[in-house]
Amino acid sequence: MQRRNFLKISALSGAVSALQSCGSPEQQLIRFIPDEDLVPGIAVWKPSVCTLCSAGCGTLVRVMEGDAEVVRKGRTGLIKMGLAKKLEGNPEHPVNRGKLCARGHAALQVLYHPDRLANPLKRRGPRGSADFQVVSWEDALAELTSHLSELPSPGNVRSSDSSGVHRAVETGPAPLAFLTRPLRGQRRELIERFLKAFGAPPSIAYEPLEEAVLRQANLLSFGSAALPTFDLARADYLISFGADLLGTWNSPVAQSIGYGEMRQGRPGRRGKFVQVESRMSQTGANADEWIPCHPGREGVLALGMAHVIVSDKLRARDARPRPAALIAGWSEGLPDYVPESVAKQTGVSAETITRLAHEIAAAESSAVVIAGAPLAQTNGMFNALAVNALQALLESSRAEPPILSFTPQPPIGATVPASAATPASFSTLNSLAQAILNDQPHAPKVLFLYDVNPVFGAPASLQFREALAKVPYIVSFGSFIDETSAFADLILPDHAPLESWVDDVAESGTTQSVVSLAPPAVHPLHNTRAMPDVLLEVAQRLGGPVAAALPWNSYDAMLRAAYVPLRQHSSSTATQSEDDFWSKITAQGGWWSTPRAPRAEAVFAVPAHAPAKLAEPEFDGPAREFPFYFTPFPSQSFRDGSLAHLPWLQEMPDVITTAMWSSWVEINPKTAAQLHIATGDLVEITSQHGSVRAPAILSPGIAADVVAMPIGQGHEKFSRYASGRGANPLSILGPLTERETGALAWAATRVKLARIGDAERGKLIVFAGGMSRFPGEEERR
Amino acid sequence: MTHKWAMVIDLDRCTGCEACVVACHAENNIGTAGPDQAARGRAKHWIRVERYWEGQFPNVRLRFQPVLCQQCDDAPCEPVCPTFASYHTPEGLNAQVYNRCIGARFCANACPYTVRFLNFFNPQWEKPLHLQLNPDVSVRSVGIMEKCTFCVQRIRAAEIQAESEKRDLKDGEFNPACVQSCAPKAMVFGDLNDPNSEVSRLARSNRSTKLLAELGTKPNVNYLQRDSWQDGKNG
Repeated sequence: MQRRNFLKISALSGAVSALQSCGSPEQQLIRFIPDEDLVPGIAVWKPSVCTLCSAGCGTLVRVMEGDAEVVRKGRTGLIKMGLAKKLEGNPEHPVNRGKLCARGHAALQVLYHPDRLANPLKRRGPRGSADFQVVSWEDALAELTSHLSELPSPGNVRSSDSSGVHRAVETGPAPLAFLTRPLRGQRRELIERFLKAFGAPPSIAYEPLEEAVLRQANLLSFGSAALPTFDLARADYLISFGADLLGTWNSPVAQSIGYGEMRQGRPGRRGKFVQVESRMSQTGANADEWIPCHPGREGVLALGMAHVIVSDKLRARDARPRPAALIAGWSEGLPDYVPESVAKQTGVSAETITRLAHEIAAAESSAVVIAGAPLAQTNGMFNALAVNALQALLESSRAEPPILSFTPQPPIGATVPASAATPASFSTLNSLAQAILNDQPHAPKVLFLYDVNPVFGAPASLQFREALAKVPYIVSFGSFIDETSAFADLILPDHAPLESWVDDVAESGTTQSVVSLAPPAVHPLHNTRAMPDVLLEVAQRLGGPVAAALPWNSYDAMLRAAYVPLRQHSSSTATQSEDDFWSKITAQGGWWSTPRAPRAEAVFAVPAHAPAKLAEPEFDGPAREFPFYFTPFPSQSFRDGSLAHLPWLQEMPDVITTAMWSSWVEINPKTAAQLHIATGDLVEITSQHGSVRAPAILSPGIAADVVAMPIGQGHEKFSRYASGRGANPLSILGPLTERETGALAWAATRVKLARIGDAERGKLIVFAGGMSRFPGEEERR
Repeated sequence: MTHKWAMVIDLDRCTGCEACVVACHAENNIGTAGPDQAARGRAKHWIRVERYWEGQFPNVRLRFQPVLCQQCDDAPCEPVCPTFASYHTPEGLNAQVYNRCIGARFCANACPYTVRFLNFFNPQWEKPLHLQLNPDVSVRSVGIMEKCTFCVQRIRAAEIQAESEKRDLKDGEFNPACVQSCAPKAMVFGDLNDPNSEVSRLARSNRSTKLLAELGTKPNVNYLQRDSWQDGKNG
């Protein structure tokens, strides 16, 4: 007898004896035949792609044999199968080069989460009550197809068959909306094709901390509506205006790799790093010089430096005219931005402005970057254009390659080009909510939700919750019940990313063009189906133009059709067979072009856009009643809150405060003393739109007129680990938007602050000094 | 040749991102304490990132320092153990023999770096989170002291692999989980007995220091102090 068989039999007989006293042993006893041959104890590394943020890092999954309880053909049973045990960065991947961030590691817990939905669900209770019953995939898909085919649409067989195409055309776009997190690659392509063929408007990509302002500014300044790539490894000087580039922003792993090299990668040459912000972030804590600046005045500060550089003739101001033409007064030498007047507006001394300008101009290679709160002001576009102009000025006399570049896009066709500027998702979401609330004729009758949670992420003043309640039929592809999917009529749970074909196209973080691509690393645990495969099947069931637009019978066939043509773009692969090329790119985790140094953007055409004049930031709430600027910031653990359900990240201490499992409010010690607030005290933050309560943490790294709070906690419904924990700062934001793009100005709300109670046990959990007792605990025992 | 495993942590590269913290939890089956137990100071992090505030607003600085078991040559945790559970391996690691440990916690009291953690309760992995457990690392039950092992399971695996191929270990061919995930390359692991290894080279840097060196514990983790910037030259 083989050892394997012996073990199987002994496991089976052990289970029999163990289960004799338990309920329904016949359910437990099913043991499926394993469908892969893994050697016990030997790990296999399989490629995958991290989908937790938009950086698109390549991962390797450590797969080992193990026993898992799974559902197959409607029955629960045990199976020996490959199980994902650990994630590492893929060393071959050009974005993250073998490294992985804290959040990326926790992607494993998405796969194994105890609250992940295991079956399709149909609503049983009232809307939003999260009362669902399990249905079969057949019933779920039949119900969805019948709802879709009842919609009037040009791409819909039944309506055009019964009463003719003309009626459908007259109704305008089909009342179908698709709300998703920002997607790239073929998932986005698939959704857009489906909607286009159905006659519905394009999908709405929503994320709370969107990048519409920076994309629009980069399009105007540099001709590319993408997030920038910084080759920090070669930088001698870096000024960041609020960008959390080592923490949560853009491509943090790629940026951290470059940062390490900038500091100590070149013997005898260490780059200087300056951070400008009003609340010290994890990134800011690493700066050689940390410079607090009044909120919304970052653009003025950048132009103050540009003024010094131009007037002291450290650079010729007309060398790179495109970004410069976007700033009013540039050709006159920025007379409005003399250091003394800039100092009054920003709170940064004129000496500091002059010194920084001379230092950065003297550096051989330098970069300035803006992101985060400075862009989330009503004048965010002005701030971004100002920093872009300073970047162009600094790079004007440089040898190539430049520090700032834009990642080249792979040569694949797409319905929506990846580089196209997209409208701000906040204003799109707002018009959607308004259309629904006002019963406009084009308001969606069917709404799809994919990996998106605007009930949590959008300010309450947008009334998205109220709008959702009025949509006749909502379908979610969510893996979890959260604040938004609780409103769904039908939930069709997606596979976890490690169980799916995943693909992505890198927007930034590398100077190569990169397609990340990987087959499923493990077999599915639950009775779930991949969202792309569900859409393809629905298209087939609908028939007509929708089926014709999506002719593939599975998502991997679609991926293959899209990415195999890349074979022609390299001489080394052009002679390979399609099969060989496909095996190669799926085995290494994607396709990337050969490295080539970027060239300075030689775009000298002056853009047709009025030059930006000094734009003052506006704030929600009168300063007299609401004396503090409110700065929500993306949590190191949860980013915008979409990762709050992962226990590893809940228990990871925030590096600035060491807080775990908590929300908190950061307050300057002087302000706290005036209001008699001590660390741990419960405080209430009130804006014109509501209030939140959280314990206070006194922090020396925050200006006296600013209070800050991490985004991510405060979920009502989002798994056992996040529900009812902490408070959500996004809920009290005012509806102010950035003036030019309509993006949510999430850092433009004013608040007041009040102490409302003593420290309460379990409200503020910190790792450092966790053994010390909270005041009053001794008495209560 | 026996190995002497050591680590160098460059504080000028460390960004405080805590990838090492979560990588360690994933690799070493460290149980999640949950909010109630964490509030009682029972959360376990074999590696943590300490932070030190300096100065007052606006002239304020924050310094990060990852702290894990320093794998001391003269480890205060070892002689105090009544059951010889705290043990010095021939390769210089401070090992914890779980099945000898009776939870006396003398070692935790003796350790000046506070990197030893008692299991105050049996760790729970709510199904199917238990499927993520690394089969190479034993799960510790209630009453057992646990600590960083320099990922000894990875050391052993690499040694066995090298032996089967009849060759010496190569510098950098394997790394503990924290080092492997460190994006800015702040952490470097290797063999101090090999004078040409990267860790030996970096440990000889003039920025190299040891944590609480004055206690005479002879740690095997070296910290490279943060550099300063002065008019374009290194400080």
